[in-house]
Formats: sequence, structure tokens, C-alpha cells
Amino acid sequence: MRLALGLLALICSAALAQGGNPERALKTVEICSACHGKDGNAVVPLTPSLASQPETFLVSQMILFREGLRQVPAMAAVFAKISEQDLVDLAAYFSKQTLKPTTAPRDAALFEKGEALSKRGSCGGCHLPDYRGHDQIPRLAGQKEDYLAATMIAYRDNKRSGTDTTMTGILYGIADADIKALAHYLAQQK
Amino acid sequence: MTLPRSSAPYLASIGVLAALTACTSVSLKDQPAPAPAPAAAPAAPPPPAWAQGRPDSMANSPLSPHAPVLTVTTTEKIALDKIKVPAGFKVEIWVSGAPGARMMTRAENGTLFVGTRAIGRVYAITDAGGKREVKVFASGLTQPNGVVVKNGSLYVAAINQVFRYDNAEKMLDAYASKSAQPVDMTAAFDLPPHGHHGWKFLAVGPDNKLYIPVGAPCNICEPPATNAQIRRYNLDGTGMEVIARGVRNSVGFDFHPQTGELWFTDNGRDWAGEEGPQDELNRISKVGQNFGFPYCHAQGIVDPDIKKPNACDDVTMPVTLMGPHAAALGMRFYTGNMFPDEYKNSVLVARHGSWNRTQKAGYDVVRVTATPDGKNAQLTPFVTGFLDPATNAFWGRPADVLQMPDGSVLVSDEQNGAIYRVSYAK
Repeated sequence: MRLALGLLALICSAALAQGGNPERALKTVEICSACHGKDGNAVVPLTPSLASQPETFLVSQMILFREGLRQVPAMAAVFAKISEQDLVDLAAYFSKQTLKPTTAPRDAALFEKGEALSKRGSCGGCHLPDYRGHDQIPRLAGQKEDYLAATMIAYRDNKRSGTDTTMTGILYGIADADIKALAHYLAQQK
Repeated sequence: MTLPRSSAPYLASIGVLAALTACTSVSLKDQPAPAPAPAAAPAAPPPPAWAQGRPDSMANSPLSPHAPVLTVTTTEKIALDKIKVPAGFKVEIWVSGAPGARMMTRAENGTLFVGTRAIGRVYAITDAGGKREVKVFASGLTQPNGVVVKNGSLYVAAINQVFRYDNAEKMLDAYASKSAQPVDMTAAFDLPPHGHHGWKFLAVGPDNKLYIPVGAPCNICEPPATNAQIRRYNLDGTGMEVIARGVRNSVGFDFHPQTGELWFTDNGRDWAGEEGPQDELNRISKVGQNFGFPYCHAQGIVDPDIKKPNACDDVTMPVTLMGPHAAALGMRFYTGNMFPDEYKNSVLVARHGSWNRTQKAGYDVVRVTATPDGKNAQLTPFVTGFLDPATNAFWGRPADVLQMPDGSVLVSDEQNGAIYRVSYAK
């Protein structure tokens, strides 16, 4: 099944409007690197790593920021400065960077709880069984734990939406403790 | 990967139930909350709407909605030569550079206003002697899909929000720069806030009323009493009437040029098989007719999850079926003089294309001919070539059609943010 899903992801990503040029992104990457890291591994708390995220996901989120549909104070001014081609190039660049696995120690009990919750919520159905994401659906594996938790809380509390409302529905009513476990489990994935 | 799930009937009936229990088998919350007092019940969102009603046997299905394209696709990247039209017809790119372009309405002086979903914009496309310019007329809205111009005012419906932009063409730049603000009509229309199937289509009828669909907030459920219907209002939001019930999700309608009756497309449910239940083209011959959702689909298919005795009694059957999961959206009757005679009074329907089907379906514009009372319906391909059945890959997604004053027809393509013009010459 994993093969079938991979194939699907491959077909879908071919539908991206215009291919980004990762080399060209080196001109603009410094507007991201202070927080997200030049190699896409975040260096500031509560900031997502962009390395190895699906290209379409990165493009979509940057557009949502630009259009004011996703509001984060630190991001508000960023997209006024760059063109749509710059944004697409940055997505190509960061999607090709290597995500460094977390060095944080694993809490076995929390990990196990998170694993069970993920199975129950069918997270791997859209994010793929190894949580690498595809198309508009982000990679969760190895993402920063604090950011994963904060993002799930924002979805749960209806303070964030993606290109659709799926996550708000899935996380409705989930307890903070369960989010903590999910975030730990997912951050520990490679 | 076997997941603990409740039984399919329970899963399928979550519409109202979820609002009370705030939890279903696909939610991550531990236990259903004790049923709260109805007055205090928070309006809990249902679980992810596209997965509702998915049976255990399809829990690992790789099918999921396609990603929207939110970036500009330049003209040279659009595979115009792949688009096929019948002999004598010609297709050209009328405009590109309007990411997410969906529903279209044309103002008196030729400005085309175009609604979108994920990107939250309404475009104004001006046409000065063939030189077209795409302007962002409104932005930051939640799925502003519904657009219609009447008496110089542009009405925009963004889920439950309704805005009226008076003198929309004359004040185009003022609205675009946000130095002028629209009239907020949201309170007057009082539409339900559900996001899922909450994007709107708008049309003004020969009765000078504004017609608005209110979709079911789920794939399959017992919808709230406010949903799964088509309504009409006076232009100021007063005088609401429900004119059709049992309508799952209509995103296109038009008035028959001879009878004035409303014909509409309706999208069939997901996760009940590859072959359907199929989408529908319907005709309202009497105010308040019931079109079957959630109990009875297509031409009399009883729902496998939401059951009641005699499910199809009193249900108005469709004029024709529109294909399995094909997503029949925008539709208009052709009344122009440019196309061959047999096109007159037939319906052109944009089919956005399937996601809940292994072999993709739709991704085209079809033509339906029928008698004015909806008999003898025949469906034929009109604009095709967006889907390659051999590779099962698509590159375009028609969302709406609109007749121009010269009798040519515009087709919006959401995938490429483009609008094509289809014309005919003998």
C-alpha cells in the first residue's frame, strides 16, 4: 500500500503549477534562515522546520500567509518583499533540504501513547504511514515537538485552517495531554 | 493498519449526533462527552467531512481530495493544444493568471467577476478591446465562491458572509484598494456557518430574487434543518423561502430560458462505491420539492448508511445523471446565436472531476439536451482533453461556464487559474 500511496503522491506533485528553482532561492533564503535555519532546520523555538516538507505544502502555506488567510505576526511582512516566483523557489529549496532527526531523548510512555492516538486518528491516512506528507499535506515526521503541539492546539481551537478544514474536525475536543503525546511521537519519527 | 472504529451506521449519522457528543470514531477525543443540555450545546464541528461515511473496508484508501493550485500558471504552461471541442468549434485562452478561478458573472460594461475558494479572492477581469487584465478585486475572504451581478451591484457569498459591492465596475479600483467597503449583508441573509459544502453559488432569477444553495455540512449525515437545500431571498435578504430540499451540495444552477424553472446540479455522496451514486441534474417544477438527500440518491438509490422506510417516496428524480463522483458544478443554458441550432436551450455543465474514484471521471464540459419538462435527456461531451484516461492524470478542472453577449462561451479552469473562450464558426 505504501507503494501505491507513494505513486499517488508522485502523480499529484506533478500537478504543481510551476516548478521552483532551488538554486535561485539562495538569493532570498536569508529572509527565512534566522528562524527556520538556512538548511530548513529551525533554530528558534515554536518555529517549524521546513526541510523535507512537500513542495506544494510549502507553497500553499506561503500563499495563505501572503493573502492574510493564515496570520502569524512574524510572517506578516515577509511576503510583501518577495515575488511569487521567489516563494515557489523557496519551497523547492526547502523541500530538498535534509531534516535532521531530533536529538531529544525519547519518553517511552509518551511515545507509546502518541503512537496509539495516531493510529486511532488515522494520521497516516493522509500524512502517509511514515508521516512524510505529500502535496498539500505536511510532513509530521521529525517536525519540532513544540511547534507540532502548538499547531495542533491552534487547529483544535479553530484558530488555524489549512487549505481546507480537515484538521480542525479531526482534533476537535482533544485533550492537551493527548496533543503532547502525539507531538512527542511524531517529532521522534525519522 | 486496522483502526478501532465505530460501526458504519454510527459513523454515517454523525451530522446532528456529532454536534451533541462532540466526538466520533474518527475524532481523537477519548470518550464522548455526556450529552449536554441542548441550549448549552456548543456548535461542535463535525469530523473531517470528506472522510465521513467512509466504511472500514476503505479505511486505508489512498483517495483524498486533490490539492488546490494557488500560484499563477502562465499562459505558455497551459496545454491548450490538448483541449478538444467538436468540429467547427475553436478554443482559446481568454485570460490566465487568476489562480483558483471558479464561478463567473459578467457586469454590464464587460467586467468579469470571478470567485475562488482556498485563495480567498474575487477577481475582476477587465477587457479593453481584447486586452485583458486580472485585478484582485477582493481578498482575504473565506471561500468566496458565489458571485453574481445585478443592477450594477456585485453580490459575493463567502460561506455565510454576503457582501454587496454597489457600482462594482465604476468603483473597481476603490474596492480593490480597500478604500471603498462593500455593504455587509451577512446578518440579513443569516446563512449557516458550516465550512464544509458551505461555499456558495449565486444567481438572480427572472423573479428578481437571489438564489443561494446551503449544502449538507458532511459527506453523508442527517443534516441540520437549515441545510441541504436551495433558498431564494429578496435582494435585500428578506423574504427567505426554501425552494428545494434534500439537496446535498449544489454548486451550479440556471433558469430554463422557456419555462423560467430552476435547473441545478447536485453532487452525489462519497465512499459508497466507485460508480456512484452519480451526480444529478435536477429541475424544480414546484417550490419545496424534495430531492432525496440523505436517504435517496441519483435515480432511486437508497443510502446504505442513513436509512428510513420508503426512502425514495416523494423524491423528485433527476433530469439525468451526471457521472460518478464527476463533480458537476457550474451550468448554464445556452441561448446564443453563435453555436449550431441544436445547442439552443441545451445545458452546458462544467464537471470539475473526481477524487473519490480510482479511475478519474469528469474533468470536462458536457452538454445536456432535454425537453423543457426535463424528458429525454441526452448527455454529450463538449469540451474535453483535461483528463488522460490512459495515465489517469488530469491537468485542468473546469468549474463554471458563462455565455458571452456574442454567443461564445467562457469556461473557467480552477487548476490553471485560466478562462477559455469557446467559439464557433461555420
